[in-house]
Amino acid sequence: MSKAQLNKNKSNLKIGVFLCRCGGNISDIIDMEKLRLSVKAEVIEEFENLCSINGRKIIRDNIIKKNLDRVVVAACSPITHEKTFQNYVSPLNPYLLEMANIREQCSWVNPDNITATEKAISIVNAAIEKVKYSQPLVPILRKTPNTAAVIGGGISGISASLSLARQGIETYLIEKEPTIGGSMVKVGKLFSPEKLAEECAMCLLNPLVNEAVQNKNINIITNTTLKSAERRAGNFNLLIENKARKVITDRCISCGNCAEVCPVEVKDSWNEGMTIRKAIYKPFSQAVPDVYTIDPENCKKCGKCQDVCRMDAIDLTMEDEIIPMTVGSVVIATGHKTFDMNKRPEYSYGRHKDILTQMELARVMGVNGPTKGELLKPSDGKVPQRVVMIQCVGSRDEKPGGRKYCSKVCCMVAIKHANVIKQHYPDTDVIIGYTDMRTPGMYEKYFKYAQSNEVRLIRGRPGEIEEKDGIFIVRLEDTLSKEPLEIETDLVVLSTAMEPSEGTVDVSNILDVGLTEELFVKEKHSKIKPVATEVEGIYVCGTAQGPKDITDSIVQANAASAKVSELINGGVELEPFVANIDNSKCNLCKKCIDVCKYKAAFIQDNMLSVDPVACVGCGACLWECENNAIEIIGQTDEQILSMITGMLKDKKPDETRIIAFLDSVGYVSADNIGINKINVPSSIRIIKIPSMNRIMPKHLLHAFNMGADGIIMGEYPYNPMYSKTKEKVNGLKQELIKNNINPDRLAFYKVYIPYFRGLANKFNKFNNQIIELGKIGSKIDS
Amino acid sequence: MKTIPDKDILLFKSCLVNVEYPGVESSACYIFDKVGVEYYVDKRQSCCTGLGHYYDLFDQLSTTALAARNFHIAAKTNHKNIVTLCATCYAILKKTVKILNYNEDARNKVNTILDESGLPEMEYTQDDMDPSKNIFHIAEILFNKRDEISKYITVDLSEFKIATHHACHYCKVHYNDTIEGVREPNLMDGIVNAMGIDTIGWYDHKRVTCGAGFRQRFTNKEISLAVTSEKLEVLEDKNVEILLHMCPNCQMQFDRYQPYIEKKLGKKFNIFHLNITQYIALAMGADPYSVLGIQTHTVPIEPLLKRLKQKYDLKEDNRLKTLKSV
Repeated sequence: MSKAQLNKNKSNLKIGVFLCRCGGNISDIIDMEKLRLSVKAEVIEEFENLCSINGRKIIRDNIIKKNLDRVVVAACSPITHEKTFQNYVSPLNPYLLEMANIREQCSWVNPDNITATEKAISIVNAAIEKVKYSQPLVPILRKTPNTAAVIGGGISGISASLSLARQGIETYLIEKEPTIGGSMVKVGKLFSPEKLAEECAMCLLNPLVNEAVQNKNINIITNTTLKSAERRAGNFNLLIENKARKVITDRCISCGNCAEVCPVEVKDSWNEGMTIRKAIYKPFSQAVPDVYTIDPENCKKCGKCQDVCRMDAIDLTMEDEIIPMTVGSVVIATGHKTFDMNKRPEYSYGRHKDILTQMELARVMGVNGPTKGELLKPSDGKVPQRVVMIQCVGSRDEKPGGRKYCSKVCCMVAIKHANVIKQHYPDTDVIIGYTDMRTPGMYEKYFKYAQSNEVRLIRGRPGEIEEKDGIFIVRLEDTLSKEPLEIETDLVVLSTAMEPSEGTVDVSNILDVGLTEELFVKEKHSKIKPVATEVEGIYVCGTAQGPKDITDSIVQANAASAKVSELINGGVELEPFVANIDNSKCNLCKKCIDVCKYKAAFIQDNMLSVDPVACVGCGACLWECENNAIEIIGQTDEQILSMITGMLKDKKPDETRIIAFLDSVGYVSADNIGINKINVPSSIRIIKIPSMNRIMPKHLLHAFNMGADGIIMGEYPYNPMYSKTKEKVNGLKQELIKNNINPDRLAFYKVYIPYFRGLANKFNKFNNQIIELGKIGSKIDS
Repeated sequence: MKTIPDKDILLFKSCLVNVEYPGVESSACYIFDKVGVEYYVDKRQSCCTGLGHYYDLFDQLSTTALAARNFHIAAKTNHKNIVTLCATCYAILKKTVKILNYNEDARNKVNTILDESGLPEMEYTQDDMDPSKNIFHIAEILFNKRDEISKYITVDLSEFKIATHHACHYCKVHYNDTIEGVREPNLMDGIVNAMGIDTIGWYDHKRVTCGAGFRQRFTNKEISLAVTSEKLEVLEDKNVEILLHMCPNCQMQFDRYQPYIEKKLGKKFNIFHLNITQYIALAMGADPYSVLGIQTHTVPIEPLLKRLKQKYDLKEDNRLKTLKSV
């Protein structure tokens, strides 16, 4: 596309350019006179402080008197004052304003008057060229429907659902197991920082579960998993699969006659496999919903249960069902699992009955557990004389198969169980072998309390547990006294690491939510956006996000529900710079849908649409679209090409110019270079682009055609599309080779806001590299 | 799972193998020839320095320089996949590749030494070798070929109770590259299982060192041998008859010192010590003397051979005489 074509029909537009001296910040370096004479516009005004109220009068008066169609303000960074000037251009549409950043990215980084002035001219020209293609726009206001899906029915999911329901939001609580309650129903007692006593978990959970059952806004859907998810116009269309319970919920009165006659016996997972249940069962007496369930893997379909059921509630022909639902937001509360003890053969777990995990011990000591709450060894039913607990089993472990992180709750869990044992069996010796005791905040009191109960602590991580003549030998080094020890004991309890559950990984993959290296759900920002995920409208709480205790899980659940509520009540005002579809060109090939990690594109009524809430305008879909049916508003090809043109059109033959495409993070970083008054080469010309995915070969070739000597692309690496960007850069380099341009003329950098010095160094290095390469077309290029 | 080569192999000679149990190398060659592993042995190759290095006689720089020389031989002969018979060589070579690739200073120093010695062709360029893709222990190659190996078994060894002793410097040093278990090493168990024979699997002290600890064997003999005897006692409790080794240093510690420990404890351990290569070669029908080299063992292997259906021409008496004269 030639320059003449680009400017067709745009030459009649009346453009006003307003130059700010910024109290000398700009005018001390830049020759304002020369700048004024070098740009072409209907109106060119210069003022000391354009952002002041007087500046507003100048701009507004000119717009009204001279009938201006577009405005360029050449001043500071748009990050500082774009909102101000968008207000000042009223009655013009705010999106018909373009800012030329001649302070942070020019006068503050370029002390030489001549080159700084040349740079300012090209920055202003680029803004003029771009603004010609600007369209009047309105910010997008979105409201999400008053519904939410909470995936996972543990304490986090129940808490989130209750909070949502109490705010009047219709909530679907989806649980994979036949009952809600999660891990909390199994742990028996709870530790708490304030009270030095252990409280009954079931007693605290039951009222919450009952409220969830009774609340009209909560639909509890058990035996159900998420199968697929689609994003549509701020909604999520979910397909959930309900595993056939083979018991009609409305009819079952939970009498238990069926289980009595069932001939199939299997290990009861609710008691960690330490007891037996039947193929038709209710996990525990307070299970919700209060009905029996057939486990299809083990049921032999003998029909005996049907014979004894007086309610005619059993239907062995019942089939799994796929259910569609539409919700406005999703909360992931899929929880954790515990470390696979097969990865620790040296602890002999599985080889001996009396080596338990903390969860198994919780069942043993649970009043509704296999021994009705008595601490009895599984092997012989006797009370142990000594219990040795081993901390950090799988946690804080750098070796293969280990988890590098601290599981955060195990110290308190061990102390809790040690206290309970000491209270009921004072003659049983309890030893905790620990790496470090981590009892932050108020839990330190709880730790002291355990010590006062004569729980013994040895600092050291055992190497092995062996059995000799019916006695376990725990080998460890007391790392304080540096003595190797062999502790004899008759019961060992392992504090196993918390790991992401399979459900957490599956659900995140279905929802396209990012995971951490450890496969927990990744937050949008771990410091300041702790429950948001990378997908707008999807939130996370509880141990799906990382190891944490019940208190923290509930706090996070409430935070997640507040975020859902924000979206529903406040809606969101969004910049309209998103993908726009020309449906006359779209052939519904769906490639854009496949590439979009933000789940922004979708097909509805045979039409491709983009959810402006989800879309960030990164432009990755443009590459996939064969028919050029997509454009990014505010970053159309014309706008990008014209900015490039503006930056390069007055380039002198002996001059070097480098175009730097920076994403919003890179742009802020470049501003920081200016704020810190670090010099950058005069050749650098910065163009802000939402994502490097937007940059296509035609943009690069246009820049090189217009005289660019080199191009830099800078992108913040922690965005979901970053891997795509990296792939693309290689493709772009290939494209340059095809056009006889040395691929070294294109550089790709990671950018970070605080590392502005690094970016300045890169500008310098690349500039030197380009000077070494010489002019385009010299023999190095071919 | 990492890719394990079966060709372009430089079978890396080991000092301890050649001096103490040369049958380990000949057994390895015997197996490789049978199952079609392409390998090469180069007599120019020098020692990895491991023993001297852990005795503080060789510093890291000379160790690295010698390694660079060996890597040059491997590359020059188109046998870049180095396969060691000894766990010390394995860990030392991996470490030196890492140093040469990641430590520019060290690389420059080594290259200067090579230059000054008139060997500029041996200079090491970054990434000439890959620590994970070019350095292997022979047990890994055998594990990879275990199904092939099982086809050549002619001698029935199933009547013996077998345990495995996995070398520390294979399992515990570069543990991200270790296959078949770091915490529960099962590399040799896997090979033996593929031959249709069960091992005792896990046992107390399975992961524990042989006790040699390089110079510890000499400077802290009591501690060193205490570790060895503890392991022997566990194996004895389990009625183990053959302990399989994958490192000549471990093999020495057990085979050479078992009679000494027996004398000290006043008890008899009926445990034979064989390297995994010797064990496979024996099962494949190799000659106990010319291939397995059992005449160099301290704990006689002849009683084991006598229990086999296969008849061997045993030279037990000669061997004992030789030993006594020593």
